[in-house]
Amino acid sequence: MSYFRKYLIVLKLSWQNGLVYRTSLLMWRLRQFLSTLMSLTVWQVMFSGNQTLFNYQQQEMISYIFLVSFLQSMILATIMHGLAADIYSGKISDILLKPINLFGYLATLDLADKFKNIIFTIIEAIILAFIFHPVIILPSLINFGVFIFTILIGVILYFLIQLLFGSIGFWSPETWAPRFLFMMFLEFTAGKLFPLDILPKMVQNIVLLTPFPYFSYFQIQVFLNRLTTQQLITYLATSIFWTILLTIVVGKIWKRGIKGYQAAGI
Amino acid sequence: MNNYLKIWKITALNALQETFINRATNLLFFLGKIIRLTMSLLVLWLIKGQLSSFLTYTPNEIVIFFLTYQFIDNLSQVIYRGVYLFSSLVRSGEFDFLLIKPISPLFRSLTGRPDVNDAIFIIPSTMISVYLVSQLDLNITLTSFLWYLLLLFNSLLIATAMHILVLVIGVLTTEVDGVIWMYRDLTRMGQFPVNMYMEPLRTILFFLIPVGTMFTIPAQVLINKPGQVSMVITLLIGLSSLIVSYSLWLWSLKKYTSTGS
Repeated sequence: MSYFRKYLIVLKLSWQNGLVYRTSLLMWRLRQFLSTLMSLTVWQVMFSGNQTLFNYQQQEMISYIFLVSFLQSMILATIMHGLAADIYSGKISDILLKPINLFGYLATLDLADKFKNIIFTIIEAIILAFIFHPVIILPSLINFGVFIFTILIGVILYFLIQLLFGSIGFWSPETWAPRFLFMMFLEFTAGKLFPLDILPKMVQNIVLLTPFPYFSYFQIQVFLNRLTTQQLITYLATSIFWTILLTIVVGKIWKRGIKGYQAAGI
Repeated sequence: MNNYLKIWKITALNALQETFINRATNLLFFLGKIIRLTMSLLVLWLIKGQLSSFLTYTPNEIVIFFLTYQFIDNLSQVIYRGVYLFSSLVRSGEFDFLLIKPISPLFRSLTGRPDVNDAIFIIPSTMISVYLVSQLDLNITLTSFLWYLLLLFNSLLIATAMHILVLVIGVLTTEVDGVIWMYRDLTRMGQFPVNMYMEPLRTILFFLIPVGTMFTIPAQVLINKPGQVSMVITLLIGLSSLIVSYSLWLWSLKKYTSTGS
């Protein structure tokens, strides 16, 4: 029990820290709200003269945008953007010297951030629901179970990718550029602005081989029951493959990074 | 004026040297911007293929709104990148050194470090934009084009005013990052005609945070479509926003307490 107690304290502290700069937090959430509002408005206008677009009905698309904003608040919320800088500056020594698992510590901080974002997303979703009246059809119990499982995979996958970016800090202070490139890919391939299946088939097939669609697009397709059994198995296998591969790669890189890590006069 | 040009040239050259030091980093940034533009255009083309109209506009006309946003956003990034570094100037106390120099601190804070990456990117992106526009079936006349150029200049004035307001907030609170990204996200709403948004957001985006005046009105004028706001009012908004933001800047300097140093 005492093993988990320290993580619980970290969770509480991180939650409190996250609420210290309330204006920054409100601005961040307002930006997310405006982004979702823009997507919903664009799609609503596009559907105003059309019953079906890109094989989606209006209600399906509105539900899609609602779900994607909720899921991305959960999966993509992270406090690990500064991890590489913390490693390069030596700030991470503070945690390495404490009787706490570093990855467990980072995961707990991430979890607190996700909780905070989910609460705000629920409030935002209620406001947007009053405006756009989405009709979200709940999936069957089995589909819901698979949906929850795929969310878990998305969360782990994103955490591993953040660790991978963080590990750059062991060797270089230049971390913003690869992260920027990643964010650009993510913006268009995770499905926030549009579902991936509106893209040409060839582009779709390539993107589905990367980890990006498994940060929200895949989960929503499961929720909306838009996948055949074969597609579900293939995408599930691909996401699990990425999770295993990244776990191995991240493990090896961090082991090497920690071995060569040194900090003085921090 | 010559002194200002000389200083800008020096800071631009410094930024260029920095770019050459971090070649790989800048290449990744450039690649990211190319991907963003390519994907945005791809999505617009897919939408174009599916829609017959968007509000009262043809799908071809919608492309103009996006390209106008893209150009103004890119240009203001090139010139006003210094704003992004302003909070660190205030927090570290370095801003004090700008205040005692015989050159406008506003000029230095705004244009502190021109974005070389965006400066390079604006060349191919503008060429692509011009090519795309030449391929689209649009009702563009010489008069509408000349008005468009004038309104683009007006949009740049508004962008300047908005960046000055961000600096004002920076002087008063030492916090710039959240505000500047908020501004960027608000301007992103101008990728599509702002009159698509519901009230009161539409009015806010035309008059309070004049995103519509910056992007929607010039595009409407170019394609000879009736605008929500007359051109005279649009130009007045541009000029007055600059005057108001400059007055606020002067006022904020009086409130500056040099916390950093």
